[in-house]
Amino acid sequence: VAKTSLTSPPWPEVKLPDPVEEAKYHAEVVQKVNKMIAEGQYGRLFAVVHFASKQWKITSEDLIMMDNVLEAECGDRIRMEKVLLVGADDFTLIGRPLLGKDLVRVEATVIEKTESWPKINMRFWKRHNYQRKKIIVNPQTVLRINTIEIFPCLS
Amino acid sequence: MVLLGAPCWLRSRLTDRFWRVQEVLKYARHFRGRKNRCYKLAIRSVRRAFVKSTKARREKKRFLRALWITRIEAASLEHGLKYPAFISNLLKSQVELNRKMIADLAIYEPKTFKSLAALAQRRRQEGFLAALGDGKEPEGIFSRIVRHY
Repeated sequence: VAKTSLTSPPWPEVKLPDPVEEAKYHAEVVQKVNKMIAEGQYGRLFAVVHFASKQWKITSEDLIMMDNVLEAECGDRIRMEKVLLVGADDFTLIGRPLLGKDLVRVEATVIEKTESWPKINMRFWKRHNYQRKKIIVNPQTVLRINTIEIFPCLS
Repeated sequence: MVLLGAPCWLRSRLTDRFWRVQEVLKYARHFRGRKNRCYKLAIRSVRRAFVKSTKARREKKRFLRALWITRIEAASLEHGLKYPAFISNLLKSQVELNRKMIADLAIYEPKTFKSLAALAQRRRQEGFLAALGDGKEPEGIFSRIVRHY
């Protein structure tokens, strides 16, 4: 068959590596990472957590403020379960989309429950004698992330 | 005799005009020119400032998203991928990070971003191979070049 512009696809031809060798390589990497986690050879861990319909990149001892009410009293410990990504200096664990609860543990404490500064909502149409002013005060919660722990249960 | 209604010589006078004026001027103190001192000019500027801030709160979200997208595009081009390829392949591999997070990771965690780019590249290649299929011609077609006389 003669070669036309449509015989070969417009992207360059790619060859994937051998699946058997790949599986071996993957198993090796997973074992290494498991060993590193078990021995505790990581420094500071960071995690990407989905909380209050937002994603946050958190480490230990940092503060988070959300623009809503949490049904927990000040001083309550909270465990955040929807963890999307956990990383250290040498390795990262990417969840698809979430990581397992037996793999990561993120603990936080509720520190403060306040209100936001009074935000002003104003609507004004010129020459129509129309103006409305509304002061919006949102409740806010401040959390302190205590710890992020990972457990060596990769497979 | 009970007198109903206030007598005519009683007038009510505005006593807190100063504070009503200050309530508006306090929002205009950092403005430029006479509108930070004179009430008549200040109410106009303060009104406009409030309306602009309400509208800006809605547009800030659009603006920030465009900023994140630009940053992700720049970072993924450093790793040899274009933004649409990167994002679509990440979503196909069921990684649900939003653009804000990916932009933050690209700034503060370059190694993690590199691994995400590698993941997207690998998924892209697998997608190409899946699109090619077997490489055989479908049955009903005999050749692509038809000569007719």
